[in-house]
Amino acid sequence: MNAQFIVDGLIAGSMIGLGAIGVTLTYAILRFANFAHGEFIAWGAYLALAVVAAVPFGMVPIGPFSFGWMLPIAAIAAALLTGGLAILIDWLLFASFRRRGSATIIMVIASFGASLALRSLLEFVFTSKPVYFTRELQIAMPLGGGLRATPDQLLMLGVTAILVIAVHLLLTRTAIGRQMRAVSENPVLARLAGVDVRRVIRTVWCLGGALAAGAGVMAGLLVQIRPYMGFDLLLPLFAAAILGGIGSVPGAILGGLLVGLCEALAVQTVGAEWRAAVGFVILTLVLLLRPQGILGKAAT
Amino acid sequence: MSVAEASPALAVEALVAGYEPDLPIVKGIDASIGQGDFVAILGPNGAGKSTFVKAIAGLVPIHAGAVTLAGRPITGLAAHLLVRAGLAFVPQTENIFASLTIDENLKLCAGVMPAGKRSERIAAMYDLFPDLAARPTTPAGALSGGQRQMLATARALLVEPTVIILDEPSAGLSPKLVGEVFETLARVNALGVTIVLVEQNVRAALGVARTAMVLADGRIVHRGPAKGLAEDPRLGEMFLGHHAAAGETA
Amino acid sequence: MIDLVGYGAFFLTIALSYAIIAVGLNVQWGQTGLFNVGVAGFVAVGAYVSAILTTPDAAGRLGGFGLPIVVGWIAAGIAGAILSYGLGWLTIRLRSDYLAITTFGFAVTVQLAALNLEWITGGPFGMGFIPRPFAVSADDPFRFGLLNLGLTAAVLLAAYLVVEHLSASPWGRVLRAIREDETAAVSLGKNASGFRLQAFAVGGALMALGGAVQAHFIGFIAPENYLPLMTFQVWAMLIVGGSGNHRGAIVGAVLVWAIWAASASVIGTVLPAGEQARGASLQIVLIGVALCAILLLRPKGILGEKRVVSRYLGKSAAEPARQREGTLAP
Repeated sequence: MNAQFIVDGLIAGSMIGLGAIGVTLTYAILRFANFAHGEFIAWGAYLALAVVAAVPFGMVPIGPFSFGWMLPIAAIAAALLTGGLAILIDWLLFASFRRRGSATIIMVIASFGASLALRSLLEFVFTSKPVYFTRELQIAMPLGGGLRATPDQLLMLGVTAILVIAVHLLLTRTAIGRQMRAVSENPVLARLAGVDVRRVIRTVWCLGGALAAGAGVMAGLLVQIRPYMGFDLLLPLFAAAILGGIGSVPGAILGGLLVGLCEALAVQTVGAEWRAAVGFVILTLVLLLRPQGILGKAAT
Repeated sequence: MSVAEASPALAVEALVAGYEPDLPIVKGIDASIGQGDFVAILGPNGAGKSTFVKAIAGLVPIHAGAVTLAGRPITGLAAHLLVRAGLAFVPQTENIFASLTIDENLKLCAGVMPAGKRSERIAAMYDLFPDLAARPTTPAGALSGGQRQMLATARALLVEPTVIILDEPSAGLSPKLVGEVFETLARVNALGVTIVLVEQNVRAALGVARTAMVLADGRIVHRGPAKGLAEDPRLGEMFLGHHAAAGETA
Repeated sequence: MIDLVGYGAFFLTIALSYAIIAVGLNVQWGQTGLFNVGVAGFVAVGAYVSAILTTPDAAGRLGGFGLPIVVGWIAAGIAGAILSYGLGWLTIRLRSDYLAITTFGFAVTVQLAALNLEWITGGPFGMGFIPRPFAVSADDPFRFGLLNLGLTAAVLLAAYLVVEHLSASPWGRVLRAIREDETAAVSLGKNASGFRLQAFAVGGALMALGGAVQAHFIGFIAPENYLPLMTFQVWAMLIVGGSGNHRGAIVGAVLVWAIWAASASVIGTVLPAGEQARGASLQIVLIGVALCAILLLRPKGILGEKRVVSRYLGKSAAEPARQREGTLAP
């Protein structure tokens, strides 16, 4: 067996993990599985692409990387815009269901409808043809032990690590982080403690959307950009969030890396055509053996 | 006495409230609670005590009537704004964040204070409750029942409220702890904070409260000094629903 | 004129086969509140099972059993029931959206299997020569179309009568009670999980049956017929018709299929050949927005449901009190 699957798996796992953090955050605060979350990944990638395409400069490769300084700027802009998109959709759709106390599952159906509409809108505007940030070719560098990775791939692993640490610090060390945890545990008591729950919900959408956009830009840089890129990640996202323990941020990133590694291993041993089934297999095993996930607490 | 102090800490006029629009549980309550008072709200099960205080705290929809806090109208204000206005509410159960540490619980509540005052208020709470100061990084979920109630009270008191409303703080506590909790409330009241207490434990509540209000079927059926009410034979009748026997009405 | 009737029969046959699927989904969702996001997976299983059992021998893949169509349909229903029971069993004790996620994963996996298990399914090229009912009349399209429409309508009617009978039976009343207030139903001594699993299996069987009926009418199946879009269409049918009401599900199926077919033909005639794919995406956007709008503005659908249990129950009570699970942990 070739150990290269470890590098491939960690890279795919980083993107899944970043997306899964958003799924787990939305779930912890709003208590429903958002089927539209994958679309934030695709929208993030296309929004960044739109910025890069609109500005005629700044994409001359820097150092060993395949892109110029405009990409990070475009990524930040895309993160903000995708966060805004998530807030907009909440305002248009989910907020009304919350107000009238609809069952969780109505929100899930609505998110399913929103997912289709968002994805098809991308397909309508950009067509289903794959596109790329850059056409630069990259040579994979040997890392020792027979492993190889491109400079872009290593950079993206680093960026993921920074983002995950930043989210962790946000949740544990800041006022808004405490408020998010408080709302997650008990929304009524949080209101009584003076927490503006609507503001917390907006923050969660914005954060989830921005992280998804980050995953989308990474996927666009390392793989390709297509309207289905987010939807195809949806099952791995859910599998990662549930595997890690729903509500747990470290669990989401850990679950993401594990799902990514399993996928890469399956590609090597079973065949690339079965990659998409890995998420389902993991999901089934987790629900069968440990429904609360690795880091989750059992229901009391 | 200044003009601000002259207005009651909490006043309720013709309050009608309930979860469903066509099913009022609180059926027209008028009440005025003076600054610094310690009021026990008593009454049989289903009298609407809990709904009454939850409506004041912004957790149950108000259908009609008005609520004022130290002369300021607060009817229908969202719960998170009521805290800022000076009304703190301690629910009966799940009144602390179990997944947050003691310190995080206090910091969270301090968020409504001006930035410069937060650490000072937290320190004041630790002075008042040395038990909590001993273990600030313990998750609140690991605390005993009495300590939880202490933390819940500290959380409410931290924001320097005009009025603290507590919904059955003695529920589920041992008699010894009930004594401790009520002793703490008496200390808080001695600091000048108005306290409104909903209680099933009539004797313990009348032991600390200054004023008593008895509710039955969503209305006030008696209002008067707490002292001596426990021995008053009319109290039993009020609990059994003989409204006509009520004395001085609010 | 004959052309128009022929097209009408064709359109209605497809719509009614969707109606069978929608009634199946209604048994699951409308009666018990179990959310299945893998409808396309169950439909595909039914179509493939029946096709494999009934097709003549084909080179390079399993088959050649050449069994009668009715055997294929029955087998399809049984396969749908077994698979949905299994998935339900896995998730029924967990939060309601775990079932949604699992069925979604199931549909993705079924589609993948249809694509990759070439020795069973024919792979991306699909399976042809699926025997069509009344094939002897195929020379007379008019007669053929009407006979098939009649058969599909008969299957739908049978399915409808069975589920209506079940809904009116004590079994159906327990199901509705569970949906309105699970805690109360359980406290009355009803095994809620068992009842919901049975309903989920009945629904899965009907979806697979609908898939088989559709496959035999068209005579050809391929993996791309069973994309998540199909799941979404069936949901749209149920929501338009109003969940909880089997007649609503049928009306919704015909209505949504009519809107779908009409908008597709408008796109086909109005847009130039190069822009057709774009038009198709716009069609999905509009249907997605319409679905959300109906959920927001007319949550009970167009026909709505006959309320059987007190209106003071339910609302958000359908969610069992397991709220602490999934508290945010940094």
